[in-house]
Amino acid sequence: MSAPPATPAYGEIYDRGYRHYDGEREGRLHAIWALARYSMARALGIKKGWTSKIIPILLYIGALLPVIIGIGIRAFVPTFNAIDYGTVFVTVFLLEGIFVATIAPEMLCPDRREGTLPLYFSRPMTRGDYVSGKLVGAALLTLSISLAPAVILWFGRQLLSGSPFAAMRDHADDLGKVLVAGSAIAFYLGAIGLMISSFTKRKGIAVGIIIVGVTISQALAVSLTIALRGTKPWEDWVGFISPGLTVESLVTGLWAPSRGRVSPFAIGAGLPATLGVMALVVAVCCWVMYWRYGNRD
Amino acid sequence: MIEIQNTTRTGQGPAMFTRGLTKRYKGVAALDGVDLDVPRTAVGLLGANGAGKSTLIRTLLGLIDPDDGDASVLGIDVRRDPIGVRRVVGYMPEADCLPGDATAADFVAHMAEVAGLPARAARQRAADVLYQVGLDEERYRLIKGFSTGMKQRVKHAQATVHDPLRVMLDEPTAGMDPQGRDEMLALVARIHERMGISVVLSSHILDDIERVCRYVVILDHGEVVASQPMETIDEGGGDLLVRIDGDRAAFIARLQQLGAEARPGGEFGGPDEVIVRRDGDASHDAVRDAAADLGIALRSLQARTRSLEDLYFGNVVSAGERR
Repeated sequence: MSAPPATPAYGEIYDRGYRHYDGEREGRLHAIWALARYSMARALGIKKGWTSKIIPILLYIGALLPVIIGIGIRAFVPTFNAIDYGTVFVTVFLLEGIFVATIAPEMLCPDRREGTLPLYFSRPMTRGDYVSGKLVGAALLTLSISLAPAVILWFGRQLLSGSPFAAMRDHADDLGKVLVAGSAIAFYLGAIGLMISSFTKRKGIAVGIIIVGVTISQALAVSLTIALRGTKPWEDWVGFISPGLTVESLVTGLWAPSRGRVSPFAIGAGLPATLGVMALVVAVCCWVMYWRYGNRD
Repeated sequence: MIEIQNTTRTGQGPAMFTRGLTKRYKGVAALDGVDLDVPRTAVGLLGANGAGKSTLIRTLLGLIDPDDGDASVLGIDVRRDPIGVRRVVGYMPEADCLPGDATAADFVAHMAEVAGLPARAARQRAADVLYQVGLDEERYRLIKGFSTGMKQRVKHAQATVHDPLRVMLDEPTAGMDPQGRDEMLALVARIHERMGISVVLSSHILDDIERVCRYVVILDHGEVVASQPMETIDEGGGDLLVRIDGDRAAFIARLQQLGAEARPGGEFGGPDEVIVRRDGDASHDAVRDAAADLGIALRSLQARTRSLEDLYFGNVVSAGERR
């Protein structure tokens, strides 16, 4: 009698066993980038419910729509020139502030609230790497909403001119200014938002502090500017306590000749001082965050 | 690309080595001059809450700076190269540490990437490890919908996803029901026996250590009060339980004069019971001689094996008396 065929029975479960990993292992830069990507995805609500996505989507639409409409009108009415780069940055600043108030707490607070920090710190990365990953993520996201409208405006303007390639060459300096302004604002607001968020595990509290803080600082700066009018050098510098006036000072410094309207409360310290103050604020925020997460007790 | 040193992989040198490791919080010693030389096996870290187990694990991972002393894990100096230690060690903390709004697959893959695995390999490893911990079908569900046992499994998976040489599990059975606890202990044993990953299991539950570990370190008030292989607990030790008919105090005093370590029976023992520390034939001779000298009748003499419980309470009580 022949032996039965050695075919496995239907539904038989196999133990796949454990396989060791002997592939590549990357270094800390890879870890920082992985953390930045994951944080960006969470902040934008990717792989989450629609309620998590709706605010970032609306803010992107709010930032891009006026520029797209402006370019559209200009395509039909060549003399239409209502939107310039400075106006775009100053207008988008409000949305950017809300955007940062939305994404920065989302990036930092849950890690503290849900206790995920010890898991990150038990990986082959330093606490500084963790902060760097979050900073990169916040800056890239803020950069997207800060740069995109002005870059679209720049391309739109050149494409609508008679000779697009020549126009791009002739207006390359504008693109440079757009990149400088967009990057400076993104790092400046992103760092402030993250620094505030690093002090609490509650997202709502962080959002509130960012929005109320920006509003109060604006009111305070305007009041102090009026009070100190004619008192040099305070008059030129006091406006820097407001992110709004700081951004306006940057934009005015970059596009002053083409911008007719300048706020009566504008900071008078000039472009280099404005860029210096913004860099200083970013450095202080980074230092505070490294101090906040660097405590090894 | 990072290479893990061959000496680290091949298992030479102790798994954990410390000398005079000290950590104080506001003057209170969480670790008080800890000296350890622990082999690469399944190690149990036993102690009451606040004994210093978690502080020791976190110090060995380089998460806490010790005030004094040296430590190495798998031959890597913790103070000089904490990143190197964390590259070859996985960690499962006691507290909740999982994001509720992520799926198990996404989170474990992300943890693998942060540990250095490329994105594609990380996803593959996450799927494999979640299967190993028994979360194959559930891995695409949000973690917030998981039971305590399932969350513990996810924590376990993230600790092993980068294929470490050693995992440190801080109270892995905390908050679990008896069935979940059994399953978790089986999983921990499997890591060591089938996955070839050495384990440090921190617990205040004696049974957890007894079931899984081959080496035990007992901590009390930040001090190491015992550090030895499980199979040697009974070696040269154990007790003789003697029942007598006569004056127990006099019998104990005579035994002590004859050089034996003797004490009255335990709290739940009878008034006629005496426990004598076993020391080869000498303890039996002392019992015989003491009984003969005092004219006391021996009703029974029974050798007791020494359990982890005896080791724990014996050492912790002794350490408490010394303090």
